[in-house]
Amino acid sequence: MVNPVLLIAVPLASAFLIPIAGLLSKKFEKIIPIAAMLFNFIISLMLVFPVLEKPVQVYIGGFSPPFCINLFAGPVAIFFSILISLVGLLISIYAASYIKKGATEKYHILYLLLLTGATGVVLTGDIFNLFVFFEILCISSYALVAYTNDKAGIEAAVKYLIQGALGSSLILLGIGFLYGKYGTLNMAHIAASINTITAASDFIPLVLLITGFGIEAAIFPLNAWLPDAHSSAPSTISAILSAIAIEVGLYAVLRIIFTLFGASSMLLFFTFLGLTTLLIGEMCAFTQTNIKRMLAYSSIGQIGLILFAFAMGTAHSITGGFFQLLSHTLGKALLFLSAGYMIYRSGSMHISSLQGQAQKMPYTAFAFTIGAFSLVGLPPFIGFPGKFMIIKAAMFKYEMLFTILAILVLTATIIEGVYFFKVVQALYFKGDDTATPKQRAPLIVLIPLFLFVLLIIGIGIYPKYIIKILNTTGKEFINRFDYIRGIIR
Amino acid sequence: MDFLNNYIYYIGAFGLFFIGLYTMLIKKNLIKIIIGLTLLDSGIYLFFVAVGYLHKGTAPIISGHSPASEKMVDPVPQALILTAIVIGVSILALALSLAVKLYQHYHTLNIKNIKELKW
Repeated sequence: MVNPVLLIAVPLASAFLIPIAGLLSKKFEKIIPIAAMLFNFIISLMLVFPVLEKPVQVYIGGFSPPFCINLFAGPVAIFFSILISLVGLLISIYAASYIKKGATEKYHILYLLLLTGATGVVLTGDIFNLFVFFEILCISSYALVAYTNDKAGIEAAVKYLIQGALGSSLILLGIGFLYGKYGTLNMAHIAASINTITAASDFIPLVLLITGFGIEAAIFPLNAWLPDAHSSAPSTISAILSAIAIEVGLYAVLRIIFTLFGASSMLLFFTFLGLTTLLIGEMCAFTQTNIKRMLAYSSIGQIGLILFAFAMGTAHSITGGFFQLLSHTLGKALLFLSAGYMIYRSGSMHISSLQGQAQKMPYTAFAFTIGAFSLVGLPPFIGFPGKFMIIKAAMFKYEMLFTILAILVLTATIIEGVYFFKVVQALYFKGDDTATPKQRAPLIVLIPLFLFVLLIIGIGIYPKYIIKILNTTGKEFINRFDYIRGIIR
Repeated sequence: MDFLNNYIYYIGAFGLFFIGLYTMLIKKNLIKIIIGLTLLDSGIYLFFVAVGYLHKGTAPIISGHSPASEKMVDPVPQALILTAIVIGVSILALALSLAVKLYQHYHTLNIKNIKELKW
């Protein structure tokens, strides 16, 4: 049996190994993140089958919960951990050739710390520990947004930092309220004391925690920082923020709603919140002329869709939500990475500057097209089963309201389709046809893109096995009492 | 007086919290916003310590001399707050260094004039 502590300890240790190894050779700073993420990926895969039978728990310090900080490697945690390490691995391979200028060593340190924080958030079972890991994730992402050190990057980082820091303060205040009332920090122990939310003393920490984590998850009224931060950061960072950071924020929101408070009476509110986020995100994305800004707004929309799926609260919709989360992570990472290299070559983020890039960089443009089609939800790709399951779950509610909401989701998908096809059209059918010299991206950039494409098509054609595993994963959110009983005996 | 004895720390904590929040929302100067953030954080730290505080409680050390029935202050929030202060300091350091960079690029700290990314 492998110990899940390694999932946090190894990237954390290797992050601080980078400056020491950098004294020997500059090459290590690129190899260490790849090695650490590969290690995490293998460990997470090894944990899949033990965890599906019974969650693996680690008690730090040897005390039993609620007196210790416990790591709870349930199906949800391992699902996220695989996703984080896989995307982290592929993006670090891409970054080996993409990140050339500036303080490259610090970039790799911060990148590994970001992934450490994300893994810690999904693994921990202690709410204060969750806050600490969340801060590791946030602080390193603030610094990484400012990495380019130009006007836009610094401004976006300042905006992100002020809003994010306010959000973390609200989280801390919410934890204070919870500790004051229940005298414990273990999430299962707190959850055991809360059945339904009736008292204001439960409602206030719920609102504070949802608002705080909602800022990182970019749920509708709290999403002002996201388009700036995602469009001004280097493309690898946009990819990791879009594919990992906001999903981890959403995980925290869902953990609070489903496990900590069991707020089933408030799920309808979150359904509407998710749908509003979806519609606002897609409509804003439609009007953008900057490709990275467009992708950033599309991320807001997708997060709204995922929240909508989870908030419907049925077993089908939660499986659909997890599948959509997987599809968004793979699709958006691929889009940001492929767009990143095209921007790098053409020197501009304007959509019109991408015209005719398909002739110059055929593979990269092809990867972008696959990612775009998948996000829109076209059949052979991974995006289709996710959206299909969400719409199906909404229809199986057999309520007029949810049918209307499903129609709104489909409307948002149409808007999404229009702006993605606009870009694909610019790539292939616009621009001069004169035989321009081909400027193919280097092989080390194409490998991660190719692997993403392979995953998107592969899972899209055979979604069955993944759905089976995700069904088990979803039970952790539905059966809140199993989670509690699993930790407190 | 009993009311004050019991609640004075909460009043102080939320006083600081809302002063900080007000500063963050109203002020236009980035440095003042960062000061507001620090004030807000201090309010939360005080709130945490107040949660564990007992009037006339003793330090939570069990020794042979003190009877077990004696009231003790809860040590957990204090331990948490040490962690939170460290996190707060690192955010503060990052925020101030970003403010320096922002000033080098824009030659102003007034957030009304910083709108490169405004759409």
